[in-house]
Amino acid sequence: MTVFKSPGSGSKFVLPRRSLLKGGAALGMSTALGAPFINRLFAAEEHPLAGQSIEMNILGIAGWVPSSLGVKMSPLFADYVKEKYGYTVSFAFAEAPFSDLFQKAATSLATKSQEYNIIISDSQWLGALAKPGWILKLNDVIAKNPALQLDWYSQTVVDTYMTYPDGTKDIWGLPQEGDVEALYVRKDWLDDPKEKEAFQAKYGKPLPQTFEDFDALTMDEFEKIAEFFTRPDEQRWGFAQQYSRVYDFATCAFNNYLWSRGGEIWDPATGQIEGILNTQQNADSLQAFKDWLKYCPPGATNFGIAEGIDVFTQGKVFSTIQWAAVGSAMITDELKGKVLVVPPPKHGTGDAAKRICSMGGQPWVINAFNDEKKMRVAIDFMNWWYQPDTAVEFAKRGGNPCDKATLSRDDFNSINPWNQTYKFMLEEGRSRDFWHDPKYSEMLAIQQEGYSSFVTGQSSDPKAVLDYIACAQQQILNDEGVAKTAPSDACAATSL
Amino acid sequence: MSAITSRPRLARLFDDRRMMVLTLLAPVMLFFIVFNTIPTLWLLGLSFYNFSLTSGMPPEFIGVRNFVQIFHSRNGIWLDLSRTFTFVVCGVGIQTVLGAALGFLFWGSRDMPGRRIALTMLFAPMVLTPVATGTFFRFIYDPTFGVLNAMSHGLFGTGPIDFLGNPSLAFWAVLAVDCWMWTPFMTLMTLAALGSVPKAELEAAEIDRVPFVRRLSLVIWHHGKFILMLGILLRTIDSFKTLDLIIPMTKGGPGQQTRLVAMEVNKQAFESFNMGWSSAYSVLLLLISIAMTSVFIYVLNLRRRREG
Repeated sequence: MTVFKSPGSGSKFVLPRRSLLKGGAALGMSTALGAPFINRLFAAEEHPLAGQSIEMNILGIAGWVPSSLGVKMSPLFADYVKEKYGYTVSFAFAEAPFSDLFQKAATSLATKSQEYNIIISDSQWLGALAKPGWILKLNDVIAKNPALQLDWYSQTVVDTYMTYPDGTKDIWGLPQEGDVEALYVRKDWLDDPKEKEAFQAKYGKPLPQTFEDFDALTMDEFEKIAEFFTRPDEQRWGFAQQYSRVYDFATCAFNNYLWSRGGEIWDPATGQIEGILNTQQNADSLQAFKDWLKYCPPGATNFGIAEGIDVFTQGKVFSTIQWAAVGSAMITDELKGKVLVVPPPKHGTGDAAKRICSMGGQPWVINAFNDEKKMRVAIDFMNWWYQPDTAVEFAKRGGNPCDKATLSRDDFNSINPWNQTYKFMLEEGRSRDFWHDPKYSEMLAIQQEGYSSFVTGQSSDPKAVLDYIACAQQQILNDEGVAKTAPSDACAATSL
Repeated sequence: MSAITSRPRLARLFDDRRMMVLTLLAPVMLFFIVFNTIPTLWLLGLSFYNFSLTSGMPPEFIGVRNFVQIFHSRNGIWLDLSRTFTFVVCGVGIQTVLGAALGFLFWGSRDMPGRRIALTMLFAPMVLTPVATGTFFRFIYDPTFGVLNAMSHGLFGTGPIDFLGNPSLAFWAVLAVDCWMWTPFMTLMTLAALGSVPKAELEAAEIDRVPFVRRLSLVIWHHGKFILMLGILLRTIDSFKTLDLIIPMTKGGPGQQTRLVAMEVNKQAFESFNMGWSSAYSVLLLLISIAMTSVFIYVLNLRRRREG
């Protein structure tokens, strides 16, 4: 029994212990049950959208799993904001393939429409979307939202998905999906004792088996493996990579060769391209890029992302360089446990061998023409997207987050078969993106034509092809005012 | 008197024939002006400006500089034009010959059982969207999975043929699909042309035992040429604008082998958003189309003028 003494009264107020416990329990329970409602009442008072219902539209990439995850996970966001802020939100998803998405976004944004409130942009579009003022500059938003002040896994993430112009602190995007190039290989083919024996007998070396084995591999060594598995009579080939003229497919695949062999595509400080892209060294890289066609299935000059997935999943090729983002499409239920995802081989020999591959992935960008309500929801969405639980959920569903906290988790490598390679390739200096200039589309189109022309045999001289591309791109950047120098007189004679 | 005055004002307008014609034409004219004339004039105006949607800069008047740049372009524009003319001449030529042959075949077999079903099947490619046609032909041509390669391998033992990746084959592979798609249209036009030939004249020629070739030139061609030429004209204009078939098949590749003029306009306008440059290029293409149409109409009216 507990005895309370009323102050100043001198009388005693006696309360049975059991009643006190009951009362305490009832109070505790009512507090626990009522807290969310009380919180919601507070939230309703605090959040300007409390009690309202908002419809949002996301524009993303058709057939791209990580892109659709933004919408598939949106019910979680809806629950979150209902709980935390007291408003209701629903999302619709518009989509277009990679090669048409910019067109779809730009034509809508050019009319100052808020048709798409949040856009999953490709990294190279940042300049083209930012310069006309179509997307929201995020520096102030990040400054006001501590949840967005994240520690990213590497500077590459910031350079690729967030900043424009390159090297500045102006932030226009936040990473939606991180992506890198990876080498997908058929582990079950490597594990086959007959194959192991035959390879050892032919080349006097064992077939690589582990991530570490492949990490140490150079292109010359890997070529033997590709050659070994190239058996057209069995409808099997050793390798596939992207040579297609569509969008940036050939460019991303070729840049792996160009950068890894010590070449450059331009000087971002001066906008100079002529003399940097069209070097003999890069011409040799282009020739090497083409030479790998002999280990690819027929028609490889038209291979893009989808074709690469097709030939791999249908057992036509032993290996393919493909984006980490399409891991869930590459490793089908039938192939689970039969695929190894490893870093692409290094170029060169000995200690000088290196690999620098293309960055993929997409940032979120926010439509600058959103009205106040939709802008608020978009920012709430970003705050929610980078919460630790959301990032882990995204990874578990097949996405690739970019923040250091998630990627540093002990269990991160085991979430998806490609995660170890994704993290490895995302480290500083192993991957990089190309220009973010507003004229990227024109520059890319010329480059794609040139590379396609060479790999298909329409043009036979790799140096002449690079001369043509460099001159045309120099002209574009000079007209734009980015490049200080005009194309040289020698450019008059260039053609495909 | 009272009957006339009691009629609604709109009805009275039709008493004047000129007013009636104008009133009936007005909606069409309005539609034409809003959706054709104004955009064309806008296009013409824009062709004198440097205006890129993604530059963030306002349009800048530059006179005829866009046209000068096009004429001095290093980007293979003249090659595009010559490739497009080859595509038009070969495509429309093959479609006309095949379409006319099929038209005569169906015209001469009116009592054949199953003719209607055969005609319906024949016209099916024409009603498909070019994008769908291009997409499924990309798969048909595929050297690894494609049915055409599987058939040629099964029948003739040939190795895989990369129809769309080989610079020597890609153009002709695309042209073949265009012919597959549009030959039925020329068949339809041939049947319409043959249908316009008076039966009496044909019977008279038959009774007089006029040879088929002479019957063709004196009777059939004389009456059917306008419809047939109209078909050729429509196909020429349409073929000149070919874009949606090529994009899913080759995107203009390999290299530039299947890049036609419409692709360059599409790329500059809707991928690079160079609205001034692409407007200037469109104006030039419009002038070429008008010139081609004028030539057709001139040829068509040549004999009538001579006779006149």
